[in-house]
Amino acid sequence: MTVQADILTENAPDMRRIERRRALFWLLPPILWFVGFMLVPYAITLFYSFGRMDYVQFVAGFSLDNYVKVLTVQPYAGLILRSAKIGLLTAFWSTLLAYPVAIAMAFYLSSECAKHILYILVILPWWASYLVKAYAWKTILGTHGLLNEGLIWLGVIDEPLTVFLYNDFSIILTLTYIFTPFAVLSIYAQLERLPLSLIEAARDLGATGWETFIKVIWPISIPGVLAGGVITFSLGFGDFIAPALLGGADSIMISSVVISLLGVANDRPLAAAIGVAIILMAMALLTVSQYLEKRTQVRL
Amino acid sequence: MTRLGSPYLIWSVAGAIMLFLYLPILVIIVFSFNEGRNAGLPFTGFTLSWYEAALSNRQIVRAIWNSVLVAGGTILIAVPIGLMAAIAMDRFSFPGKDMFRRLVLLPLVLPGIITGISLLNFYVMLKVPLSLTTIMLGQGTALICITVTEVFARLQQLGRSQYEAAYDLGASEFEIFVKVTLPNIKTALIGSTLIILSLSLDEIAVTFLLTGRDNTLPMVLWSILRREATPLVNVAGTVMIALTLVLVTIGLRLSRGNSGRH
Amino acid sequence: MSATISLQNLRKTFGDGQSGHLAVDDVSLEIAAGQFVSLLGSSGCGKTTTLRIVAGLESPTSGRVLFDGADITHLPASHRDMRMMFQDLALFPHMSVEENVAFGLRLKRMRGKLSADEIRRRVATYLDIVRLGEMRKRMPHQLSGGQRQRVALARALATEPPVVLFDEPLGALDASLRRSTQAELKRIHRELGKTFIYVTHDQDEALSMSDMVAVMSGGRLIQYDTPEGIYERPRTRFVAQFIGAKNLISARVEKVTGSEVLLRLADGTHLGAHAEESLVPGQEVTAVFRADRALMQVNGYTDASLVSGIHVQSMFLGNRMEHIVRLVDGSEVTIHDAQARPLPGDGGPLQFALRPQHVQILTK
Repeated sequence: MTVQADILTENAPDMRRIERRRALFWLLPPILWFVGFMLVPYAITLFYSFGRMDYVQFVAGFSLDNYVKVLTVQPYAGLILRSAKIGLLTAFWSTLLAYPVAIAMAFYLSSECAKHILYILVILPWWASYLVKAYAWKTILGTHGLLNEGLIWLGVIDEPLTVFLYNDFSIILTLTYIFTPFAVLSIYAQLERLPLSLIEAARDLGATGWETFIKVIWPISIPGVLAGGVITFSLGFGDFIAPALLGGADSIMISSVVISLLGVANDRPLAAAIGVAIILMAMALLTVSQYLEKRTQVRL
Repeated sequence: MTRLGSPYLIWSVAGAIMLFLYLPILVIIVFSFNEGRNAGLPFTGFTLSWYEAALSNRQIVRAIWNSVLVAGGTILIAVPIGLMAAIAMDRFSFPGKDMFRRLVLLPLVLPGIITGISLLNFYVMLKVPLSLTTIMLGQGTALICITVTEVFARLQQLGRSQYEAAYDLGASEFEIFVKVTLPNIKTALIGSTLIILSLSLDEIAVTFLLTGRDNTLPMVLWSILRREATPLVNVAGTVMIALTLVLVTIGLRLSRGNSGRH
Repeated sequence: MSATISLQNLRKTFGDGQSGHLAVDDVSLEIAAGQFVSLLGSSGCGKTTTLRIVAGLESPTSGRVLFDGADITHLPASHRDMRMMFQDLALFPHMSVEENVAFGLRLKRMRGKLSADEIRRRVATYLDIVRLGEMRKRMPHQLSGGQRQRVALARALATEPPVVLFDEPLGALDASLRRSTQAELKRIHRELGKTFIYVTHDQDEALSMSDMVAVMSGGRLIQYDTPEGIYERPRTRFVAQFIGAKNLISARVEKVTGSEVLLRLADGTHLGAHAEESLVPGQEVTAVFRADRALMQVNGYTDASLVSGIHVQSMFLGNRMEHIVRLVDGSEVTIHDAQARPLPGDGGPLQFALRPQHVQILTK
């Protein structure tokens, strides 16, 4: 065993240099990828956003016109707000629906196996094709859909109602439906860490079920609610399929506009400006949510 | 089990929500066997003819093949890059690490359409023609974060000591990776691969802007859906549900089942 | 297989610049070949970081590590002739006992040095040494806590390093298993003649196993001595308290004659003591003595000083009687009476005698 002695007589390897080389080995490919396929495209988008269209020809330049347009000219700013509103409502309803399921999964199942099965049952609808799920709601909510036919069969109404489909209700319902599993998973991931003894202790001290929930479970679950909320919000905010399939004439969202600006309207610079604005918003959202998650995280 | 409230109450609420989650899926499956020409009611009779029609539809079969191709490429991009990023973030501290983490996770909260538009601008500027490859690159970039979060969580749970023990015993970096790290994160890696596979098969937002002449299955379904509503869509949906059911079950078994409980 | 290790002015700062945390502060230490040396201290004292610097898992901010005189400060862990037994053992969960032990022998750097047969023999030898021959094929999760410790030890020993490092590996064991494993480690150390460096926060463990003990606190090396030396002659108040000395008396130096010192206690009586460092009259010091050094038979000594106080309570501990005595300044000391004689009653005055060589003076 004179491995070390051999080494020392030669040009001895230096652990600091080796460590740096290893860090570089693992870090460099991802960094190159993120620079090449994220940062550079973002920079190019930024570049486009400062230019303008001269009929069908792009003209480079350094003008903030597009940003001014995004902020002041309708429908852009309004649509961003509207999309944010739909995103928020999606996040709210998803969380509301997800919470009881997460609670049941975390505290009302004693066997690991049962938890595992419910976990899979929750996650499955999430993975089923988005388009098909959105389309299924059309089948349910439409004039000749299950809901109307059912209500007529029950005698509640005589004529099919049209209020279910082609409005914000159907959009939010569909988005909530699609993203609820996600909210369940992130809330459950947080509740799972909570030892049952905490609940028992609270009950033992005389807290009612509701008090236990408000004072013990809810504060500990906040990071999970935030994590799920941020993602359901983002997914709802950026959606363009639900409005296209289930929305009315006036229920377009910001992503739909970006698509039409790139297509029919052929205004790449304006689309780019909207893109940059949304990237900045996403960055801010990520920063704030990471900060909040860290602040509200309780060490268990 | 008197913990928070009556189990009957909790389970009836949770059960209703689960029903809500499954109702549309049942609708799709049931109506994929409907004889009628409409995609919805009335249910006129049981048939498998729409499955036949879907499988003999050139456009759909071709699109399925394209989707599989794109998903394969996406996995080849997202899994290795995500793995490397996760290892780098787990093991090393380096300047700008916080920024790096934020960049990696950005696609998680960024609408897919924005990844799409920035990559589209990139291709337009470099005059790269749109093709299945451009879709792969886009989806790959958007989905790296899945592997990163899965593998990073596993590495954190694993801790440093196994790595250090192997290093201390004289193993080289390559030996440590192959003999120690990889066996420990294998399940997370397979799990994230399957998740990426099913997400890629279903991806629309990024694909929508980056697609060239060849289309993936969701894009074809999208165009069919916008024109007319035929039971073909239900058939495609049912097939995809069955497929993801298998994939996700395998994936979850691997990524949650036998791990983390040594 | 000589292996002396010398640490020279090691310093390690975590984090950067001013906000950094100084984990190891100017530690210098000589470890002779074949010795069993313990680094003893409470958590956060820098003992583990020091060990990790020796192992090559951490790079010191400044200072040097010498191995038989050669500078190995920045040599990677994989290139050092030392193996570590980790606190959480770090067994590879996907490998059997045998594969774990053979891990270090089947690496690229060992290629051509050992045949498959030799590896098998080596694994068998070390599994026998840790008395785990039967468990070869088991997986780590099928073993008890004590058995896992042994696998980790065999794995560290199998590459036959001249130096073995231990990072509190017995922390998770219960008291009795811990004691038998300590005895086992001591036996293995004697049989193999390797240098052992052992990190622990348990003073009994350190004192019972080691040839030398290094007591650390706040990143600094406080005292480096034999277990007897640490126990009999703690250099500072911290060391005295850490090894469990309860009898600390505040005093003032009255007269110094060579190594003989005369102390004045709070009640005005005098106490003869022994000092290794130079003291000046008037200096405030702490006198420390061991409970079993107090003499209950106060008459008949020409050199002993008398200490008086009030008897507070007694406890019968089988082989001895333990008395707690309150001194005039309010501090309480514990003394042992090996003859286990009962005292007349609580609350009465009590005197005991101390010889100067049993009274240690602490200035810090």
